[in-house]
Amino acid sequence: MTMDVTRRQLLRSAAALGAAAPFIGMAPGAVSAQDGRLVVRMDRDLQNLDPGNRTGPAEVNVILAVCQGLVKPKIGALDYELDAAASIEQVDPKLIEFTLKEGLEFTGGYGPLTAEDVKFSFERFIKPDAGGKKVAFADDWAALDHVEVTGPLSGRIHLKQPSAALWSVALADGSGAIISRKAFEALDGKIQGTPIGSGPYMLSEASPGSQFVLKANPGYSGSAQHFAEIVLKPIPELKTAELAFLGNELDFTEISPIRMAEIGKTANTRTVSQSGIDYVWFGPNIARAPFDKLEVRQALRMAVDVDAILAGAYNGLAPRANAILAPELLGYWKDAPVHRRDVDGAMALLEKAGLGSGFRTRLTILNNARNQAIATIIQANLAEVGIELEIDARGGGSYWSLGENDASRDLELSLVEYPGKTDPGFQLQWFTTSQIGLWNWQRWGNAEFDSLHARAGADTDPAARAAMYVEMQKLMDESAAFIWITNNVYAFAMRETVTPAILPSGANLILQDFRQA
Amino acid sequence: MIRYVAWQAATMVAVLIGAIALLVVLTEFIPGDAASVLLGSRATPASIAALRSEMGLDLPVYQRIAMFVFNAARGDLGTDVISGRDIASQVFAVVPNTLVLAFSAILLAALVGVPIGVHAAARPDGFFDRLTAYISVGLISTPSFVIGILLLLVFSVRLGWTPVLGGGEGQGLLARLHHLILPALAIACGWVGYIARQIRASLLDVLGQDYIRTARAYGLPNRTIRYRYALKIAIIPVLSVLGIGIGDIIGKSVFVEIIFNRPGIGSLINESLQNRNYPVVQAGVLVVVFLFVAINAAIDIVFAWLDPRIRERLFRAESA
Repeated sequence: MTMDVTRRQLLRSAAALGAAAPFIGMAPGAVSAQDGRLVVRMDRDLQNLDPGNRTGPAEVNVILAVCQGLVKPKIGALDYELDAAASIEQVDPKLIEFTLKEGLEFTGGYGPLTAEDVKFSFERFIKPDAGGKKVAFADDWAALDHVEVTGPLSGRIHLKQPSAALWSVALADGSGAIISRKAFEALDGKIQGTPIGSGPYMLSEASPGSQFVLKANPGYSGSAQHFAEIVLKPIPELKTAELAFLGNELDFTEISPIRMAEIGKTANTRTVSQSGIDYVWFGPNIARAPFDKLEVRQALRMAVDVDAILAGAYNGLAPRANAILAPELLGYWKDAPVHRRDVDGAMALLEKAGLGSGFRTRLTILNNARNQAIATIIQANLAEVGIELEIDARGGGSYWSLGENDASRDLELSLVEYPGKTDPGFQLQWFTTSQIGLWNWQRWGNAEFDSLHARAGADTDPAARAAMYVEMQKLMDESAAFIWITNNVYAFAMRETVTPAILPSGANLILQDFRQA
Repeated sequence: MIRYVAWQAATMVAVLIGAIALLVVLTEFIPGDAASVLLGSRATPASIAALRSEMGLDLPVYQRIAMFVFNAARGDLGTDVISGRDIASQVFAVVPNTLVLAFSAILLAALVGVPIGVHAAARPDGFFDRLTAYISVGLISTPSFVIGILLLLVFSVRLGWTPVLGGGEGQGLLARLHHLILPALAIACGWVGYIARQIRASLLDVLGQDYIRTARAYGLPNRTIRYRYALKIAIIPVLSVLGIGIGDIIGKSVFVEIIFNRPGIGSLINESLQNRNYPVVQAGVLVVVFLFVAINAAIDIVFAWLDPRIRERLFRAESA
């Protein structure tokens, strides 16, 4: 076989090779946590790094790396450890005393961290600004009366009423971050993009939509940082994050649990899964007929096969939830009834409610693949008992707008996933009567539940609180308004050299505690 | 010609004012209002009132439209209440990325699609024509995000030739081009098929004209006739379709920007929608409308300048 190549063809081929040459070998080199640089995926862009006005966990992750709190979450346990505080003690239910470590310095030349900064950082949550505007997370410090400065490095936190949740929701979370009063005043309060803290890292680059870079703070007085640089890549789409990890552009990312095995087989990769403390459930708006009848709600609960949902939508990887609180949390209801599917029982209850011939209803969901799968299984289950279900899948903006201005009043059924925190009071607060029209979309109200919620929040005895939270879950179960699905499961992929630090919520990463294995 | 350009410019301004009016009116339909949505459930009535005033939501609709038009004309699209950043700078920081992506995709599609169409028209119903017809239909009907994911799996994950993330921000020109290859290809694929079919049909029409027969009679080679004489005319309707198609390409760029995690106007609007950051959504949509209208107006003007028949019609209208 001969191949005739003309001079023109030869020149064309050479030109094509020449054009491609600059790109050959330009593929991104494998990122490596070994060179002191860690590349981590964030699920969204950073919007506001002001601890009081942050918009989500991604910002808390950065705030906690840049700022110190009096305490910080302890990895691997639902507990706290000292951070900026040399000592901290709950002297009585309404008083916490603290002493700061010596030699803590804010970055940017804003001087030492003092008790005055602690007072300023915490009290700005309860004091509206000159325009009457409160910070977005004002409720985290709702129990705070004032902070008394007793010395340059010591003070006392006075509470209006006891608050058991204060430690996990405020002190050890984003709302407990200590910012420099001097910096806040110098920046005229505009700290959304310029966090000034005394923590192990400094924000050295902020390129919204592209990347945020944390550099080790040379003035940090704590133990040495494990990475010289942490690069945070905002990648909203999980699929893209997985591909970026497989393409060696990330060192650490959340992945879909169903892809754990496949991704885990790739070179230099380790995957881990972690059960969550979120709560995924669906239920009716009980203010709307026919869901105002207990029998109809009970029939709904009997008609749905939660185990089939877990198998179909979670590939059997997520554990079943029988009540709102996850096993790791205080107040976990170990003996919660497991409601198994009973089609005949559900049809009998509908008959009793005068709905033997069935009815039509609508399930509103946040539009994503998993929720679509859950909704489709629920639709099939309900069809068997004569309930015709329409699925109303909404985008994030439209779906979460239901939490404002009583927009949820026309909902019929809704599928919801809320992220959890380590204090059970946080999880249960959305079901109180005062939340109807806001985040209590099901409009379920119970005076006893509200009273228990208030008492449990003010009680500092863990055993007493746990008992109250179990009682609250029993009331929810009796209402048959909530069909719990799971507390979620999270999966992560990382380079073999990386040891992550993930809080039980799954969304909160303690970046400064990521290590090289 | 000057009157034509002025008329195009006036039409463009009218469309933009209409778009702004629509955007302002649409915010009226947000449950509650943009201020309470932005501040969330913990907002006090005082803070909602303060933000409403800051955003101008306490003004009548016609005043808000006038204010938006006036401010937009000065390049002031307001301040992002969540991040405190200037919205115009956020939008204009990402617009070049989207434009580069859109025009690279068009260029790539034209570079591949035009020769395929010309070659297919050379032997209608021949093997190459039939083969490209099937491939074209396949490419047109495959969504760009599916093509994007497949390209990523092959070229980035399997072969490791191209990057997955971003647009090469902060890097050199070569790196930016490197980041552009797959996203542009993902958008271009559908348009390759479309352009090829359009060029084929248009060229077959032109090749039947008298002046082509004359050229053949003069003994000009077929290749010269096709590329030098017929294609010049055959490409005009395709360019017209491409002008309108810019909206489709910007629309596709939303998905491609999300899949490839590229900063761009599409991903900015998408993320702002997720965060219910409606002022940024408004500004982003306004810029997309502006781009769409401006590109179409520019194409109309270029056609009028290039095509003797359009010029002739215009001159006749001017003299009448």
